[in-house]
Amino acid sequence: MLFRTITKENFRKMVEALMENNEVIGPKWRDRDTEGNKIYRFLKLNTFDELQMDYTRSYSSPKNYFLPFKEDLSTYRLEDKDWEQEIHYTIHPRVIIGMRACDINALLKLDQVLVKSAYPNPHYVARRRNTLIIGLDHEPLEDCFCRSMNSDTAFHGFDLFLTDIGEKYFVAINSDTGYMIVNRFDAREVAEDDQRRYKEVKGRIETKFKTQVDVTIVPELMDLEFESDVWKKWGDKCLSCGSCAMVCPTCYCYGIEEHTNLTFTKATKRRVLYSCNLLDFATVAGGHNFRPEAHIRLKYRYYHQFRGFVEAFNQSLCVGCNRCGKACLAGISPKVVIDDLIETEKR
Amino acid sequence: MSLQIPHHDINLEPSMSKPPDFNRQSVLMHTERGFKSEVISIVPLTTQEKLFHIRICDPCERENFTFLPGQFVMLELPGCGEVPISISSSTSNKEFIALCVRKVGKVTGMLHRLKQGAIVGIRGPFGTHFPMEKMVGYNILLIAGGLGIVPLRSPIYWTKEHRSDYKDITVMYGAKEPGQILFDYQFEEWRKIYGLKMLTIVQEAGENWNGRVGLITELFKEVTIDPDNTFAIVCGPPVMFKFVCGHLSNLGLPRQRMFVSLERRMHCGMGKCCRCNVGSTFTCLDGPVFDYWTVMNLKEAI
Amino acid sequence: MKYLGITLERPKIGVFSFTGCEGCQLQIANKEETLKDLFGVVEVVNFREISSEGRDDYEIAFVEGSITTESESARVKKIRKQAGTLVAIGACACLGGVNNLKSRFSLPDVVKEVYGTHPIDTGPVRKVKDVVRVDIELPGCPISKPEFEWLVRHLILGIEPQFLQYSVCVECKQRLNSCVFDMGMMCLGPITRAGCNAVCPRNRLGCWGCRGPAEEANFESLMEILRERGFSEEHIAERMNFFNAFGGIL
Repeated sequence: MLFRTITKENFRKMVEALMENNEVIGPKWRDRDTEGNKIYRFLKLNTFDELQMDYTRSYSSPKNYFLPFKEDLSTYRLEDKDWEQEIHYTIHPRVIIGMRACDINALLKLDQVLVKSAYPNPHYVARRRNTLIIGLDHEPLEDCFCRSMNSDTAFHGFDLFLTDIGEKYFVAINSDTGYMIVNRFDAREVAEDDQRRYKEVKGRIETKFKTQVDVTIVPELMDLEFESDVWKKWGDKCLSCGSCAMVCPTCYCYGIEEHTNLTFTKATKRRVLYSCNLLDFATVAGGHNFRPEAHIRLKYRYYHQFRGFVEAFNQSLCVGCNRCGKACLAGISPKVVIDDLIETEKR
Repeated sequence: MSLQIPHHDINLEPSMSKPPDFNRQSVLMHTERGFKSEVISIVPLTTQEKLFHIRICDPCERENFTFLPGQFVMLELPGCGEVPISISSSTSNKEFIALCVRKVGKVTGMLHRLKQGAIVGIRGPFGTHFPMEKMVGYNILLIAGGLGIVPLRSPIYWTKEHRSDYKDITVMYGAKEPGQILFDYQFEEWRKIYGLKMLTIVQEAGENWNGRVGLITELFKEVTIDPDNTFAIVCGPPVMFKFVCGHLSNLGLPRQRMFVSLERRMHCGMGKCCRCNVGSTFTCLDGPVFDYWTVMNLKEAI
Repeated sequence: MKYLGITLERPKIGVFSFTGCEGCQLQIANKEETLKDLFGVVEVVNFREISSEGRDDYEIAFVEGSITTESESARVKKIRKQAGTLVAIGACACLGGVNNLKSRFSLPDVVKEVYGTHPIDTGPVRKVKDVVRVDIELPGCPISKPEFEWLVRHLILGIEPQFLQYSVCVECKQRLNSCVFDMGMMCLGPITRAGCNAVCPRNRLGCWGCRGPAEEANFESLMEILRERGFSEEHIAERMNFFNAFGGIL
């Protein structure tokens, strides 16, 4: 990996130049919560000033720019008994600024499923290849447990990764495109002082993690505590509203919906992101539901995140961003559920 | 100063210029592209089931379409939806594939209303197959309950075409009532030409039924099973697996020589949508054919 | 009209209004870009909002509004007799709707307050299904035009429509809305059936439950959450009862 520094003024010029010819996405804010804190989300930027480089956490992950909540996989022209299928992939390039290490690691996990496993998904591949990613370091929040999930640092999966070291950004460069871009905005070789300050910032970040989740024995726990009361306890609170999966940076489960237009001359096959917490997730033809109860669905969500994915890819699906925990009105989060499981196991 | 991020058009990838070959799982391809196929004939079997003979329209695509017994396809009616259906024709039949479909939901209901000549889409083949190659030199027990006969039809054709590879082949088929027995018009052929031992039983006999009455496990009284030299394929409602596979394992048949086919509501067939996922196992990729040992370890499988 | 080689009939439809604001009817007559297509695939034989001509040979009846008078009761029974399929449209027809507020007071008091001594035929508010058999309920206040068109396609195809089972939260999160709970507001999104594309939370307004309960909604848990967040019983009851969507819960 190459490193450079870029002044904040030059960074601004760089973003503005990128905005001229490309769609640029970044953290913006629109609402405030009851305590007056800004609520952030990744949206299209119209001006540089909309970009919140000091944002805390986006309410929802930027996953939808790679795996949209609703995406037309193919369309059809229908005529009498015959039809013609059309498939289009997104090739229009896009820049996402401000992705956290956890979100970049989340993308790498999605890559495992959608690029590197059987049947690479062309729609995802097209979006992934046409997105330039500029990451951004931050100090962990109270409930961030990405360190426990080994997702607090991104080593690859981005083009540029920025660390704020005062009046400039320390830039890790991970692609030729990224290298070309920063160099056009007077990127400098890393000076001794830059490196010292970078290490200081990194060191400070490391000491700030407050939440830990012990996941070392969780895969086994999932089997041992399969019948545990813990599932019922949290499952009874679960609203089965699917919010957790929607805001999650790695949940990728989906359903397929097909529709025609009003005159039956066109049809669409659409992928709609789903959640394994939703009532009919495991309903099969004829109406049988393999997971009729909320606590069973909740359990399988954890089972997939913390055991199934480990078995398949030697890593949890969870990156520890705790967006699900924040979004859950019932207060269900990986931290409380897993702590509870470990506690039960000790008894 | 402006900056244009380079475009990547994945249509330009060499593998994307061809129709998809679903047997090459690791290649980037148009996974949503269905093979346009014509419904060349429709055979009504019962009030609920019809057998559809479907022929891929494009000769090259038809030639390239190869599958193994036990695999399934995603059958699509554009604008209505897509459903997983196991293939119940011979692997050597290059002219058409046979899909036996029960009318249960939106897509299958619409399919039942189609007329000969209608065009549907198929993607596939998907999933694992019955390991016919491992069964060479063994006896084979094919045990079906109800609609479970449908995925067995392909291995039955296979045994005919490779008859000398196997020793005794026994088909045990149980249905709820005589009117629900599928493919009975083929039983004589299976007996006489394929050289299969064919046993049928119904739970509730009608007026014109002279055959056996009872549960499928009754049929075990009529066959001698050599546990050291037998493979079993069991298809049917999940409740049947416990009794049938339980009986076979009591006889000493290793669970890894019993194969079952599981049913879940896949939306993609490619291990992506997770609708058929149980932990790390995808019914569409790791199944639908599983050995019984795996099924026993698969939570919630049956 | 053909679909995959199957000939589709153009059904005769009627749209009928009972006690309500007629907003659902307006939704049907709305959205000019697809109106021509809609009238191409169905034959409208009775729809007062758009035509003064009215015939009684409709096969599908869309019924808007709640049933609050004896004459309405008789009229909807007559419609039921004629229609092969009767669809209740909108919150008033499906749930009783806002009209149902009346049912919380004694009827004579209400009549006196509103009409004084003027003679009036009015009774308790009833959902359409409390008076006649209803085949399909299309929820919402007002109904959504895309969902209406979706339903019409199902009716033409002869397929039973499967409404979304999950709650508004899914659509709300998909639109990247801020959760109105975080902004201190009450919202019934977690227990209300999706399909509205979270239009109220989108505009920073909590959900009022106009589409009725989601399938197997977890009322107990939401009640606990609302109480924990300090919403008063009165506030909760007012919201829950507004459309009469969650009858019997409080």
